[in-house]
Amino acid sequence: MTFATTLIVSGETFEMAYRFGQVAERELAGIADAAGQAACIERLWNGIGELGWMGTAIPEEAGGAGGDLADLAAIASGAGRAGLALPVASSCGVVPALLAGNPVLPDVATGAARVAVILPGAAQDEDTGGLRIRLLNDGLTLDGVVVGVETPPNPTHALVAAEGAEPMLLLIPASSPGVQTELYQRIDGRLAADWHFSLVTVDSGWIVARGPEVPERTAAARDLGALLTCIECVSAMGALIEQTIQYLLNREQFGAPLATYQALRHRVADMYVEYENLRGITARALRAAQSGEPSWQAIAFAKLRLGEAGRAVAESAIQCHGGMGMTEELPAIRLCKRLMMAEFEFGNRVFQAARLLAADGRTSTAAAD
Amino acid sequence: MDAAIDYQAFRAEIRDFALAHCPPDIRAVVASYRKLSRKVWYPWQRILFEHGWGAPSWPKEFGGTGWDPRQRVIFDEVMAECDCPPQYHHGLRHLGPVIIEFGTPEQQKRFLPGILNGEDWWCQGYSEPGAGSDLASLRTTARREDDHYMVDGQKTWTSHAHESDWMYTLVRTSKEPKKQQGISLLLIPLNLPGITIRPIRTIDGWHHVNEVFLDGVRVPAANRIGEEGQGWTYGKFLLERERLGGANIAPHRKALERVRELVATELAGEGRRAERELLQHRLLLAESELLAASELGRESVEAVMQGNALGMLPSVIKLGTSVTMQTISQIALDAVGERLAPRFRRVDGAGPNAEEPGIEWVQNYMYARVRTIYGGSSEVQKNVIAKQLFGI
Ligand SMILES: Cc1cc2nc3c(=O)[nH]c(=O)nc-3n(C[C@H](O)[C@H](O)[C@H](O)COP(=O)(O)OP(=O)(O)OC[C@H]3O[C@@H](n4cnc5c(N)ncnc54)[C@H](O)[C@@H]3O)c2cc1C
Repeated sequence: MTFATTLIVSGETFEMAYRFGQVAERELAGIADAAGQAACIERLWNGIGELGWMGTAIPEEAGGAGGDLADLAAIASGAGRAGLALPVASSCGVVPALLAGNPVLPDVATGAARVAVILPGAAQDEDTGGLRIRLLNDGLTLDGVVVGVETPPNPTHALVAAEGAEPMLLLIPASSPGVQTELYQRIDGRLAADWHFSLVTVDSGWIVARGPEVPERTAAARDLGALLTCIECVSAMGALIEQTIQYLLNREQFGAPLATYQALRHRVADMYVEYENLRGITARALRAAQSGEPSWQAIAFAKLRLGEAGRAVAESAIQCHGGMGMTEELPAIRLCKRLMMAEFEFGNRVFQAARLLAADGRTSTAAAD
Repeated sequence: MDAAIDYQAFRAEIRDFALAHCPPDIRAVVASYRKLSRKVWYPWQRILFEHGWGAPSWPKEFGGTGWDPRQRVIFDEVMAECDCPPQYHHGLRHLGPVIIEFGTPEQQKRFLPGILNGEDWWCQGYSEPGAGSDLASLRTTARREDDHYMVDGQKTWTSHAHESDWMYTLVRTSKEPKKQQGISLLLIPLNLPGITIRPIRTIDGWHHVNEVFLDGVRVPAANRIGEEGQGWTYGKFLLERERLGGANIAPHRKALERVRELVATELAGEGRRAERELLQHRLLLAESELLAASELGRESVEAVMQGNALGMLPSVIKLGTSVTMQTISQIALDAVGERLAPRFRRVDGAGPNAEEPGIEWVQNYMYARVRTIYGGSSEVQKNVIAKQLFGI
């Protein structure tokens, strides 16, 4: 009997997302050229739009399915297990949450509005303290460059948390004068973009929120993104371990399956322990988020763990595969790349560690269950 | 061995030459940690050859320098310190010594000059899809037909096959009960009919490894080195010759220094202090590992100079430094990751997969995974060490 890891989320929605993800993964892996892959990602985006993924947690009156975090978790888990190359956490979770009540929401639900989120602290080649709003000739202007922002294909909007005298959350049409994007594909197949804002005149219609509520809302949205990313990666890691086990059972060297060598058996056992722990800490964060008292600390700990465990497990899986681990041929190695990239989404280890250290009473919260 | 050698002066001489003669564009490529290709290696090999330094590890009568082991390691160290391409070409380091030891005078005359002046480029065709760690189970066959061998089979992971003229190849010439027997060493020109070379796409995005299909390839029997069926012995001889290779820690130290600079510039400023200090701490740990390794390297050189056995030192050094290099690459990735990892993408076709300045740190992180896989994987090295430790 082949070994199957315990899933973090199961059920019909999970199964549906997983099936979609698997077909998508195979299709994308079969395409060698960049243009063909871009076209494929576009089709996949339309596919999840038709399936209503982006509308999962959007209220029915705004064109969504009116679901909750459990539904989002099921989608993230299914997509993650297949290593689906779409920005699930961002497009299904973070964007609808930040745009709650906004008139664009029905278009978000269908996938017609393709929104890339630029949170505070987005990476910059030259640290200018983020995207800043300034008063210039009586009008507000936005200026700055951010890089490596995960994005749906052909983004129609940037949802920008801008810094300045008064922080603002702006929904900026990508076609606005002074806005430029450069799109590319990451090693986990997902799209990312650099966004250039050159003295963009802020239209008052773009303002989604302003003032002190902006940092609060963006922090909560980042946590949702981090939580969904952890769920995705638990699933990806489970699938990776299963595939590594299969590989070691099937490949023979020195007249015996690699699975008979204790060094590799122990390594996989270590990977499995990492997996179970990540699953545990992520389930804990999910449970906390679903309770009346959401805990950012629980999410920070889960994401911190993901940074360590994700890299360790991905590296171990590559090692177990030998030379094959260095190729792009196997789905297992594509899952490794997904795990490696997740570290750089919604706050890396240092980000999570720093905020845990800075917070008062963190130990008591961490211990409470 | 000449007791009168002034190693300090020797080091200075090599250094002056390297700085004066290694073209800046070549040193820039090496400094940026890109995977090297023939295009980068060849011109420097040519310059060294013309200076009489084409083959530091060969005896004088074959065009080598006749340097002692310590001089050879010094030479390698200086190459790394000055960002000159390391002289790790397959022909020079691996095959040349085998031909010198086991080749006929005709073979020596035919093959050594091209290796020495860099005109002939070689790759190593050992591994096969079914024979990696367990190399002796290789199945590519060479059937004798008159004065030729008919070669059928497949090699894989063949580094640089796509830019090589020749492949030195382990083939099975007879079926013996013990699988290490019946293996022969054949030199195969890669332009023969029946050879297909296909690139393997690797996670680092560079093109360096290939599959090589051999389908009814007629290779002159004169291209066999040494005895038929003794190929395994030559292969092992070749590995023995390489055992001092790990004694040169200079490339590792260079990598460490570069990453330290990277951390300082990338994470400058008060806002990134926590991150910076965390990575600096990890770099110190890596440095302590390298300091230990360079001392062991020094001991190895001394041992060889005295004619003493090296024991487990080479395995210990390889095991340790391969992991340290991976650690260093992880630290670099952590320094630039949020900014650059998303932009590490492949541009299709040949060429570098991204032109973004600094992208090589991400690329190197991916590439560094192979350090514990090739050249005797960590698991295999540990088996070797444990066997010595336990005696069983
Ligand atoms: C980038 C790259 C360049 C290369 N260049 C060349 C080249 O130029 N020429 C050439 O001939 N080859 C080359 N190789 C091949 C390289 O030598 C092999 O990849 C290596 O020998 C491992 O073999 P494998 O890939 O088949 O892995 P496997 O042998 O299948 O090993 C898979 C895993 O099992 C482990 N394992 C195997 N046996 C045992 C055991 N008994 N106990 C415990 N663990 C075990 C291994 O350590 C590894 O972790 C290259 C490989 C790579 C990736």
